[in-house]
Amino acid sequence: MLEKSFSRRMSLKTSAATVAVAGSMETFSFGEWLKKAEAAEVTTVASICGGCSAWCGMWIHVKNGRIWKVSGQKDNPTSKGKLCARGHASAFWAYTKDRITSPMRRTKDNWFEPVSWEQAYAEIGVKLKKVLAEHGPQTVFFSQNAKPTSRFYMQRFMDAVGSPTIQSHHSICSTGRDVACKWTTGSMATADIGKTKYILFLGRSYADGISPSATGNLAETRDKGTTVVIVDPRQNSSCAFATEWVPIRPGTDLALLLAIASVLIKEDLCDKAFIEEYTVGFDELQKAVRDCSPEWASELTTIPPETIYSIARGLGKNRPASCIEQGYKAPNGANYANGTQTFRALACVNALLGNYGRDGGMKFPLSPKLGTLDSKVYPAPPKPKVPRCDGAGIKGEYPLCQTSQGIPHMMPKKAMEGKAKAGFIYSFNPVRNAPDPEFMVKGYRALDLMVVCDIQWSETAMAADYVLPECSFAEREDLPTGISGSAPGVGMRCQAINLVHSDTKPFEDIVAGMAQAMGFEKYFSFSRDQVSEAILAPTGVTLEELRSKGTIMLKAAPQALSFDTPSKKVEIYCQAFADNGFSPIPVWEAPIAKADRNSFVLIHGKQGIMSHTATANIPKLLSIAKTYNMDRIWINGKRARQLGIRDGDLVEISSPLATRRIRVKVTERVHPEAAFLPAGYGNTSPLLKSAFGFGVNPNEFTPHRVEPIGGHAMMMEVVITVRKVAD
Amino acid sequence: MRKYALLVDSSRCIGCFACLVACQNQNELADDSSFIRFEEQESGQFPNVKFMMTPLQCMHCAAAPCVAICPTGASAKDPETGLTLVDRGKCIGCRRCVAACPYNARFYLKDAGIAQGCNLCLSLLKTGQEPACVSTCLTGARLFGDLEDPKGDFAKRLPKAKPLRPDFRTKPTALYILQAQEGPK
Repeated sequence: MLEKSFSRRMSLKTSAATVAVAGSMETFSFGEWLKKAEAAEVTTVASICGGCSAWCGMWIHVKNGRIWKVSGQKDNPTSKGKLCARGHASAFWAYTKDRITSPMRRTKDNWFEPVSWEQAYAEIGVKLKKVLAEHGPQTVFFSQNAKPTSRFYMQRFMDAVGSPTIQSHHSICSTGRDVACKWTTGSMATADIGKTKYILFLGRSYADGISPSATGNLAETRDKGTTVVIVDPRQNSSCAFATEWVPIRPGTDLALLLAIASVLIKEDLCDKAFIEEYTVGFDELQKAVRDCSPEWASELTTIPPETIYSIARGLGKNRPASCIEQGYKAPNGANYANGTQTFRALACVNALLGNYGRDGGMKFPLSPKLGTLDSKVYPAPPKPKVPRCDGAGIKGEYPLCQTSQGIPHMMPKKAMEGKAKAGFIYSFNPVRNAPDPEFMVKGYRALDLMVVCDIQWSETAMAADYVLPECSFAEREDLPTGISGSAPGVGMRCQAINLVHSDTKPFEDIVAGMAQAMGFEKYFSFSRDQVSEAILAPTGVTLEELRSKGTIMLKAAPQALSFDTPSKKVEIYCQAFADNGFSPIPVWEAPIAKADRNSFVLIHGKQGIMSHTATANIPKLLSIAKTYNMDRIWINGKRARQLGIRDGDLVEISSPLATRRIRVKVTERVHPEAAFLPAGYGNTSPLLKSAFGFGVNPNEFTPHRVEPIGGHAMMMEVVITVRKVAD
Repeated sequence: MRKYALLVDSSRCIGCFACLVACQNQNELADDSSFIRFEEQESGQFPNVKFMMTPLQCMHCAAAPCVAICPTGASAKDPETGLTLVDRGKCIGCRRCVAACPYNARFYLKDAGIAQGCNLCLSLLKTGQEPACVSTCLTGARLFGDLEDPKGDFAKRLPKAKPLRPDFRTKPTALYILQAQEGPK
């Protein structure tokens, strides 16, 4: 009986003996603070969690001027009153010991020295003007994990510089999906999990890359009897709510999708009326998948043919209240060479099911109409005329890549080629989070000017010429943000506590400082409140109201089904793909990486307590990771036995790029051909003192690559060998 | 008389640790201390494998060994709520209770020099709120209720819930559902 295994003396000990009390490094000790705290008044301030990109509405509870705890906003559609572990911990970023506490400048001996803000702005201004004079604005780029404040202020700054190369982090996240989606359905439809009867997940795990409401919805849909099938080389945490876990050979989901399409068509399970009215290219798809039988796909995916038949029939018989969830990073985002076409195939199968706009199918989110500053009162700089540095949207380079995303991980290569000269990076850590960190550093160091703005000493900050410290999210107010979903809304983050480090600044002040040094101040002659008010104006919500409520949902009329593609239909056959030399119909393409009997495909992904590596440096979360040995690499039991590896053994894992040591979790929960390395660890920045040295960064094994269609980084296209070593 | 209890449904737990950090914040614990710990179990063979995450915390036993062994009376049953509580003023940090707890759910707090465990966020209960671990649980794996007057989901799942390891003979109040849940087909 399972319960018997809860032993009197557990193998896991929750109290590590070595970690210092984080509360004590501030002005008073934890004990003293606790005494004061017990008698204190508590205020709650509306904020938006900065722990990941889900953007949960949260309340920050402040006691004696210090963050006590946080809670989820009930009205916010992402948090619905709940927060994950990252949410509960990330506000405490404010107090971590590895914050950047003043502007820093690289020294001749490749370290950093403090510099005043005025000096930093002045030097950045001189260097940027020199780059513009000698090489032109097309050599300047800005890469970010986009937030409302950075999006607005840096758009103006980059326009004033004259460069169109503004990039978001997506080429190492979801660009395959986003580019395919743009050209197939126009915009992103998301699974209506609340009403679906049959849902198929490919790699995406709500319970690991957590959004609280999505995770709750998954649990609820399972309660209602929905069939939940999760395809993933690893049995991820969402499988707690799966009807079935279907392990798949890494990078072969495209074959599964083509076989599903083939069964739907052959067995007459498609929605013919929908196909007729809303799609182009059905006949071409029918021809293309003629030989893509489940038996054929089984050879490629290792999924039994009967399972593939069962999935296809389950989807077909429950349509239109059935769907394939849209995924995020894996396997159709930025992980495999065939990722873009994998999402194309996913969108095509959803079209065969006729589920777009239907209850239980794929719904297009409703977004609020937001305003912006009146350009007559506050003149905006002219739009840049030079081409983008990263080739996004340019014929012959990456014509299909969205210019709203671009290809940030390619900039080091551009720098080495002499095509990029100055870079600004905000709240984004491509050195750690894109493949081949050594390559990334080498490239960024080839720039004439690299400015990084962050709250802590990221690996990317360590590669910069100037490091400008932003205050953490609990210490600042940001511009309001739109909330999209089944209903539109607006939310905003307010300042909960005073600056912990007086020489840090909110991002808009940093941009204004750089703008002044460049002579761009005329484009920044307004306050943040004025921008916030302009953004909110069309919604009728006032700034004060939003500050007090944090989240305000708006009314919106349901929209008629439409597809924002060139044909205004779902492009099963995509003319733009054909015009640019890519297959206009998704057809089978093998992934680059394939394991043999001596090797594994290195797969990686999130755990519920970590976002990339930004959160590994939060002591609350790192303590959990260390207590539960969450940095271990997962190896399938049978393969481990063949290699003489036992649970907890130390192994050496190697690719042509790197050899590292890590302990093993021997498990039946992973495909024999895959090794799963949690993605949240392996910080190498020596100034991230908490997280430094814990775990291994999967990106160190993977070569720098750019996928030809949308430009993503193909992050899991790497094979490793594993060998036991002595402790 | 109330009999407050936690009901943990392991079949819904994803091991996300949200409860652990929420508890840590609510109770102002140090970053490396907590009142909750997790056990992970895996059964079966690839590809027919199941996992189960189980969070454990003070079971608020009726026959609590931590109370019996406490030399100062710091560890005591609260007559109003049935909870096992620690009087921080009386605790001398001897850690006998830590050793005595068969569930390994009493924790020594290094910074405070005392031993403590889950108090079901009594201060929140007094203001009509749920314990922090319950209100933040993303999947409804943690429910709070009064065994003398069970309501809602807590009442609905109560018939399936059992104490963990009754063979310890401590009469735990916390209840668990360990088997995987079957959806209505």
